[in-house]
Amino acid sequence: MQALLALSRGIDRVTEFVGKSVIWAILLAVLVSAANAISRKFFNVSSNAWLELQWYLFGISFMGAAAYTLQVNEHIRIDVFYGSRSRRTQHWIDLLGHIFFLMPFVILMSWYLWSYTLQAYWSGQISTNAGGLLIWPARAMLLAGFILLVLQGLSEIIKKIDIMRGLMEDPHPFQSAQEQALKEVEELAAEVAAANALARNTEVKR
Amino acid sequence: MIEVLAHNLAPIIFASLVIFLLIGYPVAFSLAANGLVFFVIAVWLAPYSNGEITLDWPLLGTMPQRLWGILSNETLLAIPFFTFMGIILERSGMAEDLLDTIGQLFGPIRGGLAFAVILVGALLAATTGVVAASVIAMGLISLPIMLRYGYDRRTATGVIAASGTLAQIIPPSLVLIILADQLGRSVGDMYTGAIIPGLILTGMYMGYVCMIAIFQPHRVPALPIEARTLGGGVTSLFVMLILIGFFGFLSEVSALMDRTAVQLTVLEPVAAALSRFDEEVSLLFGGGVNADVWRLSAAVVAAYVIAVADRYLRINLLSRLTQQVIIVLIPPLSLIFLVLGTIFIGLATPTEGGAMGAVGAMILAFAKGRFRFPVLQSALVATTRLSAFVMFVLIGARMFSLTFYGVNGHVWVEELLTGVPGGQYGFLLVVNLIIFVLGFFIDFFEIAFILVPLLIAPAQNLGIDLIWLGVIIGVNLQTSFLTPPFGFALFYLRSVAAKVPYLDKLTGKKMDGIRTSEIYKGAIPFIIVQVSMIFIVVFFPQIVMHYKGPVVDPNSIEIIVPSLVPLAPGGAEGAPAGVPGLPGAPTLGAPNLGGTTNPPPSGGTAPGGLPQLGAPPVITP
Repeated sequence: MQALLALSRGIDRVTEFVGKSVIWAILLAVLVSAANAISRKFFNVSSNAWLELQWYLFGISFMGAAAYTLQVNEHIRIDVFYGSRSRRTQHWIDLLGHIFFLMPFVILMSWYLWSYTLQAYWSGQISTNAGGLLIWPARAMLLAGFILLVLQGLSEIIKKIDIMRGLMEDPHPFQSAQEQALKEVEELAAEVAAANALARNTEVKR
Repeated sequence: MIEVLAHNLAPIIFASLVIFLLIGYPVAFSLAANGLVFFVIAVWLAPYSNGEITLDWPLLGTMPQRLWGILSNETLLAIPFFTFMGIILERSGMAEDLLDTIGQLFGPIRGGLAFAVILVGALLAATTGVVAASVIAMGLISLPIMLRYGYDRRTATGVIAASGTLAQIIPPSLVLIILADQLGRSVGDMYTGAIIPGLILTGMYMGYVCMIAIFQPHRVPALPIEARTLGGGVTSLFVMLILIGFFGFLSEVSALMDRTAVQLTVLEPVAAALSRFDEEVSLLFGGGVNADVWRLSAAVVAAYVIAVADRYLRINLLSRLTQQVIIVLIPPLSLIFLVLGTIFIGLATPTEGGAMGAVGAMILAFAKGRFRFPVLQSALVATTRLSAFVMFVLIGARMFSLTFYGVNGHVWVEELLTGVPGGQYGFLLVVNLIIFVLGFFIDFFEIAFILVPLLIAPAQNLGIDLIWLGVIIGVNLQTSFLTPPFGFALFYLRSVAAKVPYLDKLTGKKMDGIRTSEIYKGAIPFIIVQVSMIFIVVFFPQIVMHYKGPVVDPNSIEIIVPSLVPLAPGGAEGAPAGVPGLPGAPTLGAPNLGGTTNPPPSGGTAPGGLPQLGAPPVITP
């Protein structure tokens, strides 16, 4: 059991690292897209490579973050029924969901994407758009995202069993939409308060 | 028995989908699992179905291709861009400034604070697609002020919650992007179609407040003198507005003068002088259609510079109120123009508009000193999280639709919905009822990804325009943010409004907390306004259909195809740069092949997608 837990911790660390790194891909995508739009309008210079780079970058971010989103329990649920169940029932739903809903799909997709990616890699396929990018890195990205999900699913199952046996605390208990909204509000309220305090200080100085 | 099962697989799949989703496991994977389980069952049942089920194992192998389709969809890029832009603006304190200033501007009239909330709600809506931001800001800032000066609690909470939901229908809303994508239409058309209903809705909210101000003035009192911190001085604001209007619309003003001068000959010299002035200014801005836009921008920027100079050089030519209004209002207005303006006139695709808006938001936040590393990081984290779960719901929905369409489920839905009595209106009534009820329980993402694609075929059979349908659904989904007990705008307001009695900081009076029932009751009049808006869009489709532009009679179009002049080898003289290649022009030099291409803006309403072969065909009306 200890070995499994260690495995789960290792997986969590990897997906967390990936999930937190890929956020910068969004910023890059924003900058690339804005720069491309401006250069297209004002200098009439544009290329499909830049256009494709935008969604490559977006792909990196959402495929890379999916496993981490699962880890922190933030994939969207319909909680009309789930939210009103006892913690124990929720654990059962999660455990069975991981095993019967999540795992078959992500394993199957990884299996298909493996050959799909390899085929593009061996043929050195390039996007059909003029000046387009190599295709296999984008496919590899899809594959990597699903493999991370398989690993994360495994880790979640291990953790869930331990939580249900009372061996560990739930690191990311379910939060209802209300609770999430409340959390978000508190963060924002703190920021508004800080900003007001700042404004008052500057006013006083004047 | 097996045959019965095989024939009724579509309804069975749909029913079990509802159960799968209601269990409460994350939607993305429940959808995918439902698709996968029934794929297996359907393949097994296929031989018993008389060819109704068209699924076989190799078809499952097309999933990677479907995933690729999701990945390479440029439209969906607008989702993270507008989300990021919204969050950055939310953290830049723009909402707070706007509420303070516009509250002061309208405060002295009855219902003024409520008008301010609605206006700010609409302004914020035009910069972001997120509901949370504006409701929270207004709940924190405006609600205590409204209560302090004696607003009716239900009116105050209702106005705030309703104004927050405007973000869902006024472009650039995420709902509209997703609806456009799922209905297979351009986001630009969806935006153009939604803008007038969005503005009408804003107007209707204001009309409601106006009625209260007239008939029950005690519910929406004006700000007392001591609360008008910025003082009066509306005159200088009007002067500035007239000046901006004069310079910004110089051509129009000049044309108007010319027309009046025909009757009033006294004005002739003035009109002539104005025309000359107009010509010179137009020349300065390069002439043409764009000159109008440039001139208006210049006038607005000039007003901003004047207000800033006036304040910091302490000239104080303008009143403090005017300074504040101009300084606070112009940056967000410019950003709105940068984003929506460029999309509407077809200069930019919605995706590009989103990216430029995001950059603009970062610049704005930086200028206000609110753009720090943690802010950027938390905005990116939130954007990535939203993208990840939205895109995975879409991925799950693709798996589901593979199976559902494979068992002819879409035909079943089509027959079901086309069979509704009452033609177009019957269909719209049923669809809206379904969406309205579903909106109580599930997010708009799921509705958009699962249900909306199924509506395309029946809607087209009944001759319903898909943009029109999209806008109707958009207004309907907006309502779901406002309906108790799950409406999100109500949640957000509940969490920022005081639950227990508190001491007002300014007056020292003890104020009662807001009860949840007050928030719910306050929302009811606005829900009624929303529902009537759905009917308005249904019965007056022209407020949406203008997105198609003026009707062109196909008989009156004459297409003159220019004769192809052989080009000199290697040379492209006379040909527009970047022509993607001329079929049948063998003399074309190599450099042009595979050169840079300009993708047509997919958002534009103009038929920019015409391939340019040689010189563009001349279309004469």
